[in-house]
Amino acid sequence: MKNMRVRRLIAVWTAKIVSTVCRLSGRQGVTLAGRIALKIDPRILADLSSMVREKIFVVCGTNGKTTTNNLLCSAIESEGKKLVCNHTGSNMLAGVAAAFVLAAGNNGKLDADYACIEIDEASTLRIFPHFKPDYMVLTNLFRDQLDRYGEIDITMDILDRAMKMAPEMTVIVNGDDALAAYLAMKSGNPYRTYGISEQVFKEQGGHEIREGRFCKNCGARLEYEFYHYSQIGKYRCPKCDFARPEIDFDASHIDMSKGLSFEVEGRRIEADYRGFYNIYNILAAYSAVRTAGLPLDKFADVLRTFNPQNGRMEQFVISGTHIVLNLAKNPAGFNQNISAVMEDEKPKDIIIVINDNAQDGTDISWLWDVDFDRFAQEDIRSITVSGIRCQDMRLRMKYVDISSEMIADVKSAIEARIRDGCGNLYVLVNYTALFSTRNILLGLQKGGKP
Amino acid sequence: MKITIGHLYPDLLNLYGDRGNIQCMKKRCEWRGIEAEVREFQLTDPIDFANLDIVLLGGGSDREQMLVCERLKTIQKDFRGYVEDNGVVIAVCGGYQLLGHYYDTDNGRIEGLSLVDLYTEQGSPRLISNIVIENELFDYPIVGFENHGGRTYIGDNQPLGKVKFGYGNNGTDGMEGVLYKNIVGTYLHGPLLPKNPHVCDYLIGSALKRKYGKAELAPLDDSQELEANRYIVERFC
Repeated sequence: MKNMRVRRLIAVWTAKIVSTVCRLSGRQGVTLAGRIALKIDPRILADLSSMVREKIFVVCGTNGKTTTNNLLCSAIESEGKKLVCNHTGSNMLAGVAAAFVLAAGNNGKLDADYACIEIDEASTLRIFPHFKPDYMVLTNLFRDQLDRYGEIDITMDILDRAMKMAPEMTVIVNGDDALAAYLAMKSGNPYRTYGISEQVFKEQGGHEIREGRFCKNCGARLEYEFYHYSQIGKYRCPKCDFARPEIDFDASHIDMSKGLSFEVEGRRIEADYRGFYNIYNILAAYSAVRTAGLPLDKFADVLRTFNPQNGRMEQFVISGTHIVLNLAKNPAGFNQNISAVMEDEKPKDIIIVINDNAQDGTDISWLWDVDFDRFAQEDIRSITVSGIRCQDMRLRMKYVDISSEMIADVKSAIEARIRDGCGNLYVLVNYTALFSTRNILLGLQKGGKP
Repeated sequence: MKITIGHLYPDLLNLYGDRGNIQCMKKRCEWRGIEAEVREFQLTDPIDFANLDIVLLGGGSDREQMLVCERLKTIQKDFRGYVEDNGVVIAVCGGYQLLGHYYDTDNGRIEGLSLVDLYTEQGSPRLISNIVIENELFDYPIVGFENHGGRTYIGDNQPLGKVKFGYGNNGTDGMEGVLYKNIVGTYLHGPLLPKNPHVCDYLIGSALKRKYGKAELAPLDDSQELEANRYIVERFC
C-alpha cells in the first residue's frame, strides 16, 4: 500500500519536472510527461480519476472536441468548482494521464470536483479501462485521418465497444448527425440529444462530401428534409424505423447576422464568435451542463468572456493587420472554416498551411474533398499556400482555377502578407502546423514589426 | 471534341479524394478546349456504357464495397462489353479490387466484376504509405498514397508500374496496379491524377483515340504538377 503511494508520488513529481523542463525549452511536453507517469505507475490514471469528487465528462467526436470541452470547463468553473481538464487538446492515453497527473498536488492527491476530458475516439478503448466516465458528449463523425483511423466504420465500431464498456455512462449526442445518433441509440446507454430542428441555410451545397448517406441499420439511402452541413441535418430512413431522434435540447431562432445567437429551452444564447459549427459546440456544452443538472446562471458570462486561445478562431493584431488563426484538419472542418471566413465580408488575405506529419495524418488526399472553389470570390485578395505539403495545396487551388503563391516557410508567408496584404488575414492550418504557427504569431505580436 | 466521364457510385465510392481525379480529367480537357461532361451514376441508375468514354470506379469502405458489389452483378455484362471494346477505365483502391474475380475478407467474399484476371485477399497489417512507382511507358514516376488491407495478385497481367518506394499490390512481388486493354487499376490515391498529369493525359488520350481515331493533346504548363511529383520522389526515394 505504502509502496503504491510512493510510486504515485514519484510519478507525479517526475511528470511535473518533465513538463516544466519541456515548457522552459519551448516544447509542449504534456504527452511525454503523461507517458513517463504511466510508466512509473501504471495505475496512476485509475487512482487519480477515482479522486474526482463529483462527475467525469468526456468529449468525443471528429470535430469540435476542444472548443466544446473548454466551454464546458469554463461553465463548470464559473460555478466555483475545481476541475481537471486537458486544455491543450492532448487527447490520447498519455495526454489524458498528464492532465490528471499535472493537476495533482505534490502530495500525489487530486483536489477536484469535476473532470472534463476530451478523448480521441480511437483512444477510448485504451482509456476507459482506467476510468468509466459519467457522461460522454459525442459531437459528430466525419472522415478524418484515414491513414490512422481507417474508415469511419472502424471509428464507429470502436465507439460502440467503448460505450458498452461503460453502460451507465449517459451519452449526450448530436441528434442531427445520423452516424453519432445511431451509435447512441443502439448502444443501450442512456442518452440525451441536442440539435437544430429548423432549416438554417437555403442553399444546400450539392457536391459537399457527406458521410453515412446510407442507413446504418438497414442500408437504405437516408432521406433528408434539409442539411445544415455535410451529413448534419434532419433525416429519416424510408425503409426501417431509424430516424432522427427526438431532440431534448433544440436550438431555434438561429441568427448569425451579428456573432451567433439562438434560443434553447426558452433561453437566448449569444456569443461573439463566427462559424455556424460553433452553435453546435455551445449547444453541446449547454446540453452537458443541463444533463448533469448543474446551474446555468453564469452561462451567458462564460460565453462573453470565452476566448479559446488555442488556435480556434484565435485573434492577433500584428503591425496593424488583424489576423485570425483557425484549425482545419478534415473536409467537414475545412468546409465549415471556409463558411466562417466567408461570413466576414471585408477584403481578406488567406494563408493555408498543410503539414503531413504523423499527427496530421500522412495522407493528404482529403484536401480534394474540401470545397475550395468557394474561395473564388472578389473579397479574397490573395491565397498563399505554405507548410510541408504546400505543393499539393497549390495544385489543389490550380484545379479550381485559383492562383496562389507558394511560400513553404510559414513565418515568411505570414510576414509577407502582413507586409503587403489588406490588413485582414486568415491563417488556416492543420494539426501540427497549429502549435508552431501560433508560436510564430505570438512571437510577432510580442516582438512588434516583422 | 468531347468526352463523357462516368463516375460510378460517388455516394459510396468516394473515400480518398476521388473527386480530385474527376476534377483533374475535367480541367485538363477544358484547358485544351475539349468538352468534358461528368455524369454521376447512383446505385440504382441504369448505365449506358455506349455513351461513356472514361469510367471512374473509386474507393469505398469494405461495407460500402459490399453494397456496390450486389449491384455490379447486374451490370457486369455491359461493363465487360465496354472494356473489351477498349473503353477507358480508371479504378482506384476499392474500385481496383472490384475489377478482379473476388476480394476475400474476414467477413466473407466480395464478388468482383471479373473484368481483369486478378484477385484480392485480405491481409494484415494494412499497407499504408506514400508510394512511388515507375513504368517505361511514362516519362515520369507515378506518385501517390496507398492504404489497403487487401493483397492483390495480377497473375500474368502487366502492372501499372514497379514499386520504387511503398508496398504496391501485395507488398511482396514489387508490382503495383494493373494495365489491361484501356483499364488502369491501382491502389494509388492522393488523388492519383493531379500529381501525375502524364497518367491523366494517357487516359484522356486513350479515350480520344478510341472515339475519334486520333489524339493530339496540346501540351499544358505542367511545372506545378511535376514539381509536386518530384517532391514526393525526392523525399522518399
